Amino acid sequence: MNRGTKIKEAFKTALAMTITYGIALEMGWDKPLWAGFAVAFCSLATIGQSFNKAVLRMSGTIVGAGAAVAMIALFAQQRWLFILFLSTYVGFCTYLMGGAKHPYFWNVSGFVCVIICMGAGPDSANAFQLAILRAQETGLGVLVYSLVSLLLWPTSSRAQFDTTALKLASTQHQLYRSYFSLMKGNGDEGGAQTLKTQELNERTRFNQLLDAAQTDTYEVWEARRQWRRYQGQISELTEAMERWSGSFSELQSLDVQTLCSNMDSFDAEMDLRFTQIRRMLANQSPDRHPNAIVPVFDEARLLDHSHFQKAALAVTRTQLQRMEALTRSAFDSVRDIKGFGQAAATVADAPRNDGFVLDPDRAAGVVRVVMTMWLAWFALVYIGQLPGGTTVLTMAAVLGMVMGGTPQLPVSLFFFPVAVSTFFSSLIYIYLMPQLSTFMVLGLLLFTVTFAICYLFAAPQQVLARLWGLAMFLTIASISNQQSYSFLVVANTALMFPVVFVMLAITACIPFSPRPERAFLRLLRRFFRSCEAWTACMRRDGRRPVTSYGRWKQAYHSREVSSLPQKLGAWAKFIDTRALPGTSPQKVQQLVARVQAITYRLQELSEARTRQHASFLVQELSGDARTWRLTVRKNFKRLSQNPAASEKKNFQIGLTGVMKHLEARVKHTLDRAENKRFSARDGENFYSLLGAYRGVCEALEDYAASAGAIDWTPWREERF
Amino acid sequence: MKPIPHEFAIGGVFMPPLLIASVFGAIAAVATAQLLNRVRLSKYFFYPPLVFLALTVVYTILIGTFIMGI
Repeated sequence: MNRGTKIKEAFKTALAMTITYGIALEMGWDKPLWAGFAVAFCSLATIGQSFNKAVLRMSGTIVGAGAAVAMIALFAQQRWLFILFLSTYVGFCTYLMGGAKHPYFWNVSGFVCVIICMGAGPDSANAFQLAILRAQETGLGVLVYSLVSLLLWPTSSRAQFDTTALKLASTQHQLYRSYFSLMKGNGDEGGAQTLKTQELNERTRFNQLLDAAQTDTYEVWEARRQWRRYQGQISELTEAMERWSGSFSELQSLDVQTLCSNMDSFDAEMDLRFTQIRRMLANQSPDRHPNAIVPVFDEARLLDHSHFQKAALAVTRTQLQRMEALTRSAFDSVRDIKGFGQAAATVADAPRNDGFVLDPDRAAGVVRVVMTMWLAWFALVYIGQLPGGTTVLTMAAVLGMVMGGTPQLPVSLFFFPVAVSTFFSSLIYIYLMPQLSTFMVLGLLLFTVTFAICYLFAAPQQVLARLWGLAMFLTIASISNQQSYSFLVVANTALMFPVVFVMLAITACIPFSPRPERAFLRLLRRFFRSCEAWTACMRRDGRRPVTSYGRWKQAYHSREVSSLPQKLGAWAKFIDTRALPGTSPQKVQQLVARVQAITYRLQELSEARTRQHASFLVQELSGDARTWRLTVRKNFKRLSQNPAASEKKNFQIGLTGVMKHLEARVKHTLDRAENKRFSARDGENFYSLLGAYRGVCEALEDYAASAGAIDWTPWREERF
Repeated sequence: MKPIPHEFAIGGVFMPPLLIASVFGAIAAVATAQLLNRVRLSKYFFYPPLVFLALTVVYTILIGTFIMGI
């Protein structure tokens, strides 16, 4: 961020803060710091981002305030029922906060409810006034900041959005080229990994900016459906490329370039599409249009190859076809967005409704925040005179929701920011503020401090430090019309946080150990348990289970298998490999990539099983498929008990034997197929299924190799 | 001879001796925990968080009894 932008953004926030306090004090409203919080938390880089956050904060405040008033009315004289329902509501908000839809709304709803409940606790007659005051102050802060950001150096998301979309398309093109080189056997794996990480970061930024641009840019809002369609397509394209790259180990013994008669044309067509998408995103009309192309394998050359090799090629062809379809759709979407033509009407697949499927990690976060609140409540009731009083429970709930949503964060992360911000805010409160007499000088102080904090912590990575600094300053300054100065304000605030941190540290150990390496092992065990259960759920004829419990179980385990690799990746970043001899961050990342590959192979297997297969093949090979399934389930079960029990040689002995038997049976059955009907489509589906079976085995062996490279003994040792 | 219990004053702000002793006790417990981790003796503990709590209490009592006076 350049200096000019930093100064402008800091100036806007400082001005909005000063105006907000001026209006609140002039209107005689109590607790103007709530309006200040709204300004601090809604001040983001662009108008669209700020508006979106402001809307979520306002609506969360209204819902939270409503819930608080309802609970105070229902349980005014029943403190145990009161805390039961309050903690349940906060737990509900914490669970929904972990989902993809509007997490900030649920976060605000939860902590506003606690603030009003605890603020009105000793004086429930004024609970309604307090709820209205909170909504008023939040609305004031949101309105003032929105007006300031709209009128003074307005920064639209459009420019950043266009730049990010172009960069993302370029990175995806480079990633495709990198994977294609790897498929041919002469690529750079390290370079591909770097591009993959870069693509992920750019796609995350693209998603954020799309939400913002939809709000503050009319052209993007007008084409919002097309942009959302394009967003879905590039996300699916990335997944398709990842699945494609996961099958390269099976193609090592094959010369794909020679076996596929039109591979060069296919590659050129894909290159063309990526190039044209980039042209259109740069507002230039396309000079070529895509032509549908299907990779064609030379049947004559394939006769010399084994059925498993044909199966590996069938899987690769399916993946290439998928990428071809997605790039064609993405081209159409961008052409429609930029007005260079109309996109073909597409029928989206109806979303499958599997009902509510519990996420165990989000549920663990709920348990943590509820326990933290109850611990704070017991301390308030049975100990009584805690520094900060009922604010202890408020802070415990606020920080508990944050920690419940991101359990990887250690409690110690807050020590330094709290200490430093409390110290500096205390100096201003004790030595500077008593010298001020009118709003002119108070406003100047507010402006200066806000400007300084926003300027010093302007980088996007420093947003938490900026928010914490502003929040602590506003809390300790406790500006109001009847201003008083007492060291007790500083002392109570300073001592309240260690009490809250002790509670968070206690609940961090319940129900699971907070150490990242223990969490990683626990998630690995859960992953393999779900792999084993999902494999067991795969019905012989590929249809969905008949009973609702069966369907729920399959949905639960397939969701676990799909989502756990990302969670493992999140925990992996916090593992301190310096304390784990025999482990390096690269080995851990490779292990996570192998786990993700198992997910992709199982998803391919699940998809391949749903396709129509020749009945005689099903009859002849069902027994062998069952044997394969039982062997793989046994291996998954072994890994679920001990994810580190994975010597590659043992795996190879177990799986290679069953694959050799399956290959012999397949050969025998297909030789007899001359007398039976066996269409090209049947062949394609069958080889996709066979390739999926083989892919799962290969992925398991690759996992074993990666796990074998890590010394797991220090992972299991106890440490502080 | 054990020190006489008294409050600590910093700039006219009085603090109870138990608070100061517990702060130093916590710091000593953190240092001990880091040392035990470094020499890999912590692997012999069944549940290190409880051991940490116990160390904090022990150090608080020792510092409070022999240094601060509580």
